[in-house]
Amino acid sequence: MTTHVPALDIHTSEHGSKPNYLNVTKGFKSWALTLDHKRIGLMYLIGVTAAFLAGGVFALLVRLHLWEPHGALFTNATYNQIFTLHGVFMVFIFVIPAIPGSLGNIVLPLMLGAKDVALPRLNLLSFYLWLTGTCFALYAILAGGFDTGWTFYAPYSLYTNQAVVSIGLGIFILGFSSIFTGLNFIVTTHKMRAPGLTWFRMPLFVWAIYATAILQVLATPVLGITVLLVALERIYNIGIFDPRLGGDPVLFEHFFWFYSHPAVYIMVLPAFGIVSELVTVHSRKPLFGYKLIAFSSLAIAVISFLVWGHHMFTSGQSTYAMFAFSFLTFFVAIPTAIKEFSWVATIWKGSIAMNAPMLYTLSFLIIFAIGGLTGVILGALNVDIHLHDTYFVVAHFHYVMMGSIALAFFAGLHHWWPKMFGLMYNEGLAKLACGIIFVGFNATFIPQFIMGSRGMPRRYATYVEDFEMYHKASTLGAIVLGSGVALMVGYLVHSLLAGKKAMQNQWGGVTLDWLSPTPPPLENFDTPPVVTHEVYDYSVLDLKTLQTPVR
Amino acid sequence: MSHDHGHSVVVPAPGPGFLPHTVAHHFDTPTQEFQSAKLGFWLFLATEILLFGGMFAAYFFFHQAYPETFHQGGKQLSWELGAINTTVLLLSSWTMAMGVRCAQTSQKNKLLVYCGLTVLGAVIFMVIKTIEYMAKYEHGFLPVFGGMGYDEATGQLAWYKDYHGVMEGVPFGNLFFSIYFTMTAIHGLHVIIGAGLILWIMKGAAKGRFHAHYYLPVDLVGLYWHLVDLIWIFLFPLLYLVP
Amino acid sequence: MSAHNHAHDASSAHGHDAHGYGPHHVTSSKVFFNVLLTLLFLTIITVAASRVDFGAANLLIAMLIASVKASLVIAIFMHVKWDTAINKVFFLSSFLFLSLLMIFTLSDQATRGRANPINKMKAPVDWQFVQPKAQHTNH
Repeated sequence: MTTHVPALDIHTSEHGSKPNYLNVTKGFKSWALTLDHKRIGLMYLIGVTAAFLAGGVFALLVRLHLWEPHGALFTNATYNQIFTLHGVFMVFIFVIPAIPGSLGNIVLPLMLGAKDVALPRLNLLSFYLWLTGTCFALYAILAGGFDTGWTFYAPYSLYTNQAVVSIGLGIFILGFSSIFTGLNFIVTTHKMRAPGLTWFRMPLFVWAIYATAILQVLATPVLGITVLLVALERIYNIGIFDPRLGGDPVLFEHFFWFYSHPAVYIMVLPAFGIVSELVTVHSRKPLFGYKLIAFSSLAIAVISFLVWGHHMFTSGQSTYAMFAFSFLTFFVAIPTAIKEFSWVATIWKGSIAMNAPMLYTLSFLIIFAIGGLTGVILGALNVDIHLHDTYFVVAHFHYVMMGSIALAFFAGLHHWWPKMFGLMYNEGLAKLACGIIFVGFNATFIPQFIMGSRGMPRRYATYVEDFEMYHKASTLGAIVLGSGVALMVGYLVHSLLAGKKAMQNQWGGVTLDWLSPTPPPLENFDTPPVVTHEVYDYSVLDLKTLQTPVR
Repeated sequence: MSHDHGHSVVVPAPGPGFLPHTVAHHFDTPTQEFQSAKLGFWLFLATEILLFGGMFAAYFFFHQAYPETFHQGGKQLSWELGAINTTVLLLSSWTMAMGVRCAQTSQKNKLLVYCGLTVLGAVIFMVIKTIEYMAKYEHGFLPVFGGMGYDEATGQLAWYKDYHGVMEGVPFGNLFFSIYFTMTAIHGLHVIIGAGLILWIMKGAAKGRFHAHYYLPVDLVGLYWHLVDLIWIFLFPLLYLVP
Repeated sequence: MSAHNHAHDASSAHGHDAHGYGPHHVTSSKVFFNVLLTLLFLTIITVAASRVDFGAANLLIAMLIASVKASLVIAIFMHVKWDTAINKVFFLSSFLFLSLLMIFTLSDQATRGRANPINKMKAPVDWQFVQPKAQHTNH
């Protein structure tokens, strides 16, 4: 009953080579109005990288200011604004959209053997919402800045005389961008899989993005209503969070962390997905515990909704609630440890290729072990009363957010860079940059663990002189870390201008993303793929050419 | 998208007066398109539930903290108007369900009539809501139009006046009205958006875009409208008949 | 899992119509009308129940009736009864996660001050001291 209409022809590129998604159409409009998931992913990549660099500059300013015990650079009020900007840019504008928006967008449909995501227009809308939310944040800076910290705790966020409403609306919009991305990926995973690609043949990156998407859809709306209420509170004094009017600031914290604890996993689950993918490809060995890793992602997603109160141990919530939250918090460690052990077991006796993506991955494994275990320490109620709001907490979540998530993001970027552009970066410089980042990162945050455990509170513009040595070490580390990142950005950009041509299947992956041409054409595959082998079955790989036979 | 590699699937019109539907290029079958959009929309509705859910949580939180306030506050609302509005929304939900049914059975004119009736329901609902808001304004209970600000020195809240002293003796009467106002205002916004979407459906329906072979947008807008009804079903007893 | 093996297996082969345009379930007008009557009847019950003083149970009864009404709207008007399992799971799970938010938040408030003498106040603040004053001018 269905009839077919012939579609428009596409012109081949002037070089005579097969057109790919980068050169199939030209001009500003062909990018600004594109519905192609790879182009949208690239625009996200540029955007989040810019946000990361901006957030990094704010971080360096914070560290430079703390070179002197009385503060080297700013007034205390400006310092408050700078660390708030660092937090907001890194959390809401970089880390949350980074991996799903860029790598997820580019790689997920390829891995599923789909022509595009299920809802391409929503995908573009999601990117523009991200852009709009970011513009609100920039406007808020111009309108005088904001000094609440990225958590916007009431009642201070209600009383401070700064641009909280603008940034609140920005976060509301960024939230909807995140919701739409997640929603799109859930639908894509359910409805767009290639024939033969069963749930347990899906690459683990897809599982991780899927679990992330569930969190994005179910947790983010609560953040939306929370910032909306804060805005209403500031404009009309509705009183829900304002203790002067009968409201309860602890209720704000409940609402905020109902989103923002799952948000930690919105950030970290895609990183887990990248690492799962990379350890198997670069060890050329099927994943140890594939199903365990897949289900542990879902388990983390569900448990993350039960533990938010561990951010509020000193906020005046009920002691009984604190018992429950502390107890439940430890359960997160189980699926997380399952993953860590499975990755290590995957590498064990594998045919390990010590290339740049693998080095970033190994750095992740080391740093995440520290970041995760210090989280267990902080989850213990009595210990947290002492460590709450100290640099110990700061170091813990930077080991997770910067050391683990950003490093996994870099690992994924190096892994799929040849796929995205068909060009290779300088491997030697990449390994060097990885080493510099690893050393710089640890030099920045190990001193923070030490001074935090000795009582240095976070977010202070000044400190007592006993902590000077640690702060100076940390600042030096941050400079090393920053130069490593600068080197990375440098050679990646250089590769776009003068990089060597990458191989079709650069690393010898056997998932569908490596089956598509490099760089992929507009609808990803020359012929619609059919999956006939199990996931990570490296026996199908021709070791000489690194090609999988086309079926 | 005009850069298709291959061919787009076209769903034929069921008869004269209807238009065929071209399936988006990245889908293989109309079923895949239908199910993808439907799943996406259910997920969106789930986010709506959680968005309103935050406010419901705030309601129960403060109801638990200040039960007398909520009891007293509920008495200030007209349960008669609330009941009429409930009836109006239930009726409009029914007309919308019938509208979707007419789209499924390719009854163009009846689809237009049922959609029109649903929009009429939305208008009646908003008119009654406005009457209620005006009554609250007269009593000095309405944020936004009542003014802004809080005077630390005198403890005066600009919008919360309680001209007739009806909330005297209960703690923080402002909380009941701010929750009432926030919830009904965001709900009212959804009513307006829903009515706009139904008008858009009517525009397409008049051209014959929706029929037994393709009624996806009607179905989705219908779901949205039922959600608006669903939320009101809980708001009515909680706000107007506070136990 | 087999039902979701891949996207193309859906209902084109064994769907509700010969065209494969998707699963159509057309509910009869009579069912819709009966649901409407039930909903209107339950609205009357809601109002009536609120007139009787059951003490703390009033809130529970009101919520129970509202839930029955909501279930009818979801199942029949929104066609969830005939929808795919995955759509049901995602939509209904939103209520599950919402209940998590409510249970933890409300139980926190209900048990405040019981174990810790520092935090004696059950209500967020002692309203006698900070109650905003109304103006009491006649309008």
